[in-house]
Amino acid sequence: MPVQDRTNEFLTCVDSIISRSSVPSRRDAKQRLLQNGKSATKSEFSRMASGIGKEISSTNLKLGKLSQLAKRKTLFDDRPVEISELTFIIKQDLAGLNKQIATLQAYVKQKKAQGAKTDDAKQIDEHNKNVVTLLQSKLADTSVAFQEVLEVRTQNMKESKDRTEQFMYTASSAAQQAPSNSVLFNPRGDPMGDGSPSRFDSKRPQNGDMLALNLEAAEEGAGSQNGGAFMQMQMVEQQDSYIQSRSTAIESIESTIAELGQIFMQLANMVAEQGETVQRIDADSHDIAANVSGAQRELLKYYASISSNRWLMLKIFGVLIVCFLVFILVS
Amino acid sequence: MVKIYSVSVLLAQPSSPSTVLATASDLSQFSFYQKGSVGEFMGFLSRTVAERTPQGQRQSVQENNYVAHVYNRGGAEQLAAVIITDQEYPVRPAFSILTKVLDDFITKVPQSSFSTPSAINFTEIQTYVSKYQDPKQADTIMRIQQELDETKIVLHKTIESVLERGEKLDNLVDRSNALSAQSKMFYKTAKKQNSCCIIM
Repeated sequence: MPVQDRTNEFLTCVDSIISRSSVPSRRDAKQRLLQNGKSATKSEFSRMASGIGKEISSTNLKLGKLSQLAKRKTLFDDRPVEISELTFIIKQDLAGLNKQIATLQAYVKQKKAQGAKTDDAKQIDEHNKNVVTLLQSKLADTSVAFQEVLEVRTQNMKESKDRTEQFMYTASSAAQQAPSNSVLFNPRGDPMGDGSPSRFDSKRPQNGDMLALNLEAAEEGAGSQNGGAFMQMQMVEQQDSYIQSRSTAIESIESTIAELGQIFMQLANMVAEQGETVQRIDADSHDIAANVSGAQRELLKYYASISSNRWLMLKIFGVLIVCFLVFILVS
Repeated sequence: MVKIYSVSVLLAQPSSPSTVLATASDLSQFSFYQKGSVGEFMGFLSRTVAERTPQGQRQSVQENNYVAHVYNRGGAEQLAAVIITDQEYPVRPAFSILTKVLDDFITKVPQSSFSTPSAINFTEIQTYVSKYQDPKQADTIMRIQQELDETKIVLHKTIESVLERGEKLDNLVDRSNALSAQSKMFYKTAKKQNSCCIIM
């Protein structure tokens, strides 16, 4: 708690001093009124401030839990529902805290505008300003830590997507990655990058407003980390369709080449079978040649024997004539 | 009927309107009086579409019965190329034509003359329009596919002729078998003649 409520002690001290001195009661009353008023406002301010401080600490706890969840790098046990719920809750808390700090600032300004010109008021005012600054810085730290956790989460999601791609590749996952990269990483520099340099400006309301605006931008960026803007999706799909059509064309060429290879194999098979047949024919034709040449030889021999065999012929004719004569003599 | 109407190369900077650096068109289909207005319309369409395409993106826009394919390459030269075709021209070779035109343009035309469009002399762009009327010419992939299909047809015919050859060979085998048997008989008979009829 940034403010300790010691008004009661102060009151008792004042009482004791009054009782010791002889100051007129009107001034007492005035003082008391002032004190009462101040204590009322102070306590109100301190109440608001303490409330804000408590909420900031609870948000930090939640953020710690979220960072634990986001750091897990498992492929399947991701618990995205929890993470997104927690993210949402933290976002809401941050927005609420922002608003509360803005109202506190307005309150402080109002007090300053109305405020008395006494030293006490000035000190109190200074103190209030410091308290508000402290709360704002704490809120900014929380938001920065939140942003970092979201980055870690997107990194891990991207890695897990890569790993799932290794096992089951789909073109659509490639399309979804690009938008999440571009949409989230573009406003990455913006939210706290714009807020942080000018954080300790003299113009505090502007600072508060900038914080609110940048948080909204962070909300948008963080919320759409899964979907991606439609325009970019369409662009990537357009790119993808061209690339996909090329890949399908090349795949068809590859299949055609494979078919051609198969056709060539079939051709080779058929020709090999026919080669065997040709060998059979070859063997047969050799046999034919041999047979025919042998037969020709025989015939030639026969012819040679016939043509050179005159004595045999004479003898055969002589035997025939003898038989013929015998038959005629008999008959 | 697939047809290219015009091809243009534009300087497309993101903030300023685009300027046409080189263009060529084939408006022979239109009558003489329409050519002027159609040419203007195509120029306007090219410029508008090039302006509205973010860098590094390809887009296809349909307008009545023309389709404009645009490829904004961005890069150092911030060039974009637009091709206007009819609706039947296949999309992928159109984009490959655009890539080729841009590469050619960048190698042939120096960047210094980008500010004076009239000084740029890129006559090859006309060859792009005339030569690539047939998408098969443009796209290597389609050409390869076509050649492969032709080769497949040739191979089918080859296999049919090989089958016929097989049939004829079977025929030959049977005949040679028969002939071989007959010649054997012939040989035997001749031999028998020699040994048997010694008397005669």
